[in-house]
Amino acid sequence: MQIVSGGVSDVGRVRTNNEDAFRIVEPQNLFILSDGMGGEAHGEVASAMAVETIAKFCNDQQESKEDSRVTLHGAVLDSWSAQTKKLQNAVFQANFAIYKAAQEHPEQHGMGATLTAGWINGSKLSLAHVGDSRAYLLRSGGLQQLTSDHSLVAEQVRRGIITPQQAEESEMQSVLLRALGAHAEVDVDMEEVHLIPRDLLLFCSDGLTRMVTEPEIAGVLQSETDPGSAAKKLVDLANERGGMDNITVVVARIQEESKGWFSWLRRDSGKKE
Amino acid sequence: MAKLSLMFENKLVKEVPIGNRPITIGRAPDNDLPVDNLAVSNHHARVYYEGGRLVVEDLDSLNGTFVNDLRVERATLHDGDAIWIGKHHIKVDAIADAAIPWDSGRKAAPAPKINETMVLDTKARRDMLQQAAAMGERTQFSPTRMKMPTLVVLSGAVGQSEYLLTNKLTVIGKSPMATVRLRGWFKPQVAAQINQRDDGYYLGTGAKIPSVNGAPIQGPVRLNDGDLIEVCGIRMNFVFRE
Repeated sequence: MQIVSGGVSDVGRVRTNNEDAFRIVEPQNLFILSDGMGGEAHGEVASAMAVETIAKFCNDQQESKEDSRVTLHGAVLDSWSAQTKKLQNAVFQANFAIYKAAQEHPEQHGMGATLTAGWINGSKLSLAHVGDSRAYLLRSGGLQQLTSDHSLVAEQVRRGIITPQQAEESEMQSVLLRALGAHAEVDVDMEEVHLIPRDLLLFCSDGLTRMVTEPEIAGVLQSETDPGSAAKKLVDLANERGGMDNITVVVARIQEESKGWFSWLRRDSGKKE
Repeated sequence: MAKLSLMFENKLVKEVPIGNRPITIGRAPDNDLPVDNLAVSNHHARVYYEGGRLVVEDLDSLNGTFVNDLRVERATLHDGDAIWIGKHHIKVDAIADAAIPWDSGRKAAPAPKINETMVLDTKARRDMLQQAAAMGERTQFSPTRMKMPTLVVLSGAVGQSEYLLTNKLTVIGKSPMATVRLRGWFKPQVAAQINQRDDGYYLGTGAKIPSVNGAPIQGPVRLNDGDLIEVCGIRMNFVFRE
């Protein structure tokens, strides 16, 4: 499948530094987004490490040395593609790298990062997720959230303790239950999603979703066909609303397959998507 | 701040924050949470803090006070507990009040600002997980009694008679990746889709506009146990199976 993509990261209107990081590895169709936390400049360090490490471990060409101290945590399903397993391992490596750095450098103690990464191979999207950044799928006009926030308020909603509306107004929105670098081990949510032409993927930090509602996001994504411009428009909108946090948006569009004459003949015969 | 929510058949009747003063519950109007039901005694029970723990105490009521399923005279309350008094129940929300010792990431820095992202530290996380596990033993979170969302096919040409919804996104359509796979020449690749969100399962449109209980949906609709879904000539019940 042909994919076009674009991303924008912005410091926002209130913060003085941008602790978000993202990376689009185009030849691999790999999209990585991370929102760092921790005082001083350490949030930036953590999110940059997350993005770097994952890009490195997902790259086939490059020999990357795994840290033997990394323990695998959580389920690995046999049904997962090799790519999904590889992405999961990359997240474990990133987690341990951040954790180790925080242990070795006392001034970096407490740093951490969220991570939402998507890797598209053929029609299959492998998704890895930790924290409260999000991945969305816009399909047939409907915006579907593909990730669950690992935040205290989201957990309270899942348990029926508070309503989604109360969660949006809560002062505890910034309290995460999971993040990269917080512990030596991390639970990573892995998901596989099959994509179809005209699907649109959105990866974003909470700086977008706290400022702009989902219907508004869907509206912008539908009206703007160029992924880079759509990302820019969403960032601008979040800034207009106050830009309370760093805002990072990555948009990827799955192109319609080129419909040549007789293309239907090839459809089922050994086609590599 | 911790709070108590008086509920009647899943409808919120009244909510009170728990402060230093005991919260009284009963049929008499002078109670903090008045419960208008003949099965409830005038001064039925009270809830208060004792040594940092939240406690419910039955005031020799005629029909008793129940925490989750157990009749109690006195019991320590945990977040997510339900106090049953007659046909009413009171949800206990203690989490908001639990002192959460988070790691601000700064040493000798001023108190952490709430708008700064932070992770619960190991102890707070462990406590929270333990609490969740304890809750699981008592309520529907128990794995053996876990309620699984299921689509039961009533009529229409599809592969299976039942579908368990295990993914974040369930597709109904002709596409090979669809969970509920439609057959037929003119069926769309994605007719409709169901998205798992924090507060439940939402049915959304695809190439078709599905209907729920006979009414075409306008945007994503949260599905309730027993809802009838119709799309592309397929009729299905959305149910939670034990």
